[in-house]
Amino acid sequence: MARVITITSGKGGVGKTTTTANLGTALAMHGQRVVVVDADIGLRNLDVVMGLENRIVYDLVDVVEGRCRLRQALIKDKRFPELFLLPAAQTRDKDAVSPDDMIALCNDLRREFDFVIVDSPAGIEGGFRNAIAGADEVLIVTTPEVSAVRDADRIVGLVEAFEKGHPRLILNRIRPHMVSRGDMMTTEDVVEILAIDLIGVVPDDEAIVTTTNRGEVAVMDRASKAGRAFSSIARRLLGEDVPMQVFTNDEGFFARLWESMGLRPKRAQR
Amino acid sequence: MTTPVSIKGGRDGLRLVLDETASWEDVLDDLQHRLSHGTEFFQGAQITIDTGARALGDTEFSDLLHLMNEHGLQPSALATATPEGRSAGRTAGVATRPPSRVASPAPANDVEAALLVQRTLRSGQVLRHHGHLTVLGDVNPGAELMASGSIVVWGRLRGTAHAGALGDAAAVVCALELAPTLLRIADTLARPPESRPVGPEMARLTPKGIEVEPWESGKR
Repeated sequence: MARVITITSGKGGVGKTTTTANLGTALAMHGQRVVVVDADIGLRNLDVVMGLENRIVYDLVDVVEGRCRLRQALIKDKRFPELFLLPAAQTRDKDAVSPDDMIALCNDLRREFDFVIVDSPAGIEGGFRNAIAGADEVLIVTTPEVSAVRDADRIVGLVEAFEKGHPRLILNRIRPHMVSRGDMMTTEDVVEILAIDLIGVVPDDEAIVTTTNRGEVAVMDRASKAGRAFSSIARRLLGEDVPMQVFTNDEGFFARLWESMGLRPKRAQR
Repeated sequence: MTTPVSIKGGRDGLRLVLDETASWEDVLDDLQHRLSHGTEFFQGAQITIDTGARALGDTEFSDLLHLMNEHGLQPSALATATPEGRSAGRTAGVATRPPSRVASPAPANDVEAALLVQRTLRSGQVLRHHGHLTVLGDVNPGAELMASGSIVVWGRLRGTAHAGALGDAAAVVCALELAPTLLRIADTLARPPESRPVGPEMARLTPKGIEVEPWESGKR
């Protein structure tokens, strides 16, 4: 049975699109048939992040309005034959699609794929309502910042009000050295406020910027910490019991060594 | 002259008055019609549902909530004169109160039974109740509680709380962690200091203003 998973956040810029591209790719690497759907109509990004921008002929709105068949709008990934993208329209806006259209679309996609991953726009208006309309599960992305967590909290309330079950949390862009200095919210702080299950913690990784700009995804880079974290989330989605990574400082070993010799103050306890 | 549905603006915000004699189908049809004209206006509006003396069932009420939800309307309370209606409201987790158009012989401080809400209240969610209000869960920043009586939060209170909202100066606010962004009792307002001691506390109104004491003292 196919699963429709919507990635959302409330606040913009916390990594929804990056998460969608990485989870979609990671699931495809595990042999799943995956389609990633860009529901951010009018501000499409997912195609750019996946490096498929120049292959778009038809888009989601064309499918909904019957100008093409679903198959014609699906773009096959460059690297994985089982990974497809359904791009958003760039020349239209959220009102071009209704929640009922999205439910019908997701149901059509269920027949062809194991996973339908929907990238939601930021905000709580029509675009967000469309994005979650067809979802079986919702993943909420947040960063360890007070404003992002506040918005995520609002989204959790809305997701529950729309009877989409209990959303799970992806904590993105955590900076271990800032956490250990006590300068950043910890995973525990965020989970305590949101009171939902955590499915993964992704460290801040500069490599994401370079891979994204090249239209590549981090999960394909074994050296990327963020990529490894996204792979773990994908495996958890597949039901594997993957332990949560504990991110320590890069200089962890030496820091501990110095600490043990009393040459450095203990890290802030949080 | 009377329509099944009328929307009225009042002192306490918008009221959605559903005629208690019309058939429920007519009510929903008329509401659907009204909401689909002027959707923009009602998006995100907080509205009190007034069903008067209708014996409102659970399924009827959930149909209504579903329809309102579709149009972005947030029910802030259910005004109903019947026990069925109150039960439907409680099932759906919506605060209930008597409808104001029924002349109430009861004195203003005769509050309804306390309401127990068992969930996390999140940013943007509002809970209003005519009576005492108990929340078994956290009240996150951005959530609002309002009660004509006292407010008890068995959890962290980090949103805003207004006890004694109709002027009851004897109302108190208690929480396991009392760290609201804003606290009001009757018409007095306080913002707690940045750093708060941990542990359960109670806020009450004194002639000097709102005072907060640790629960251990057991005074009152």
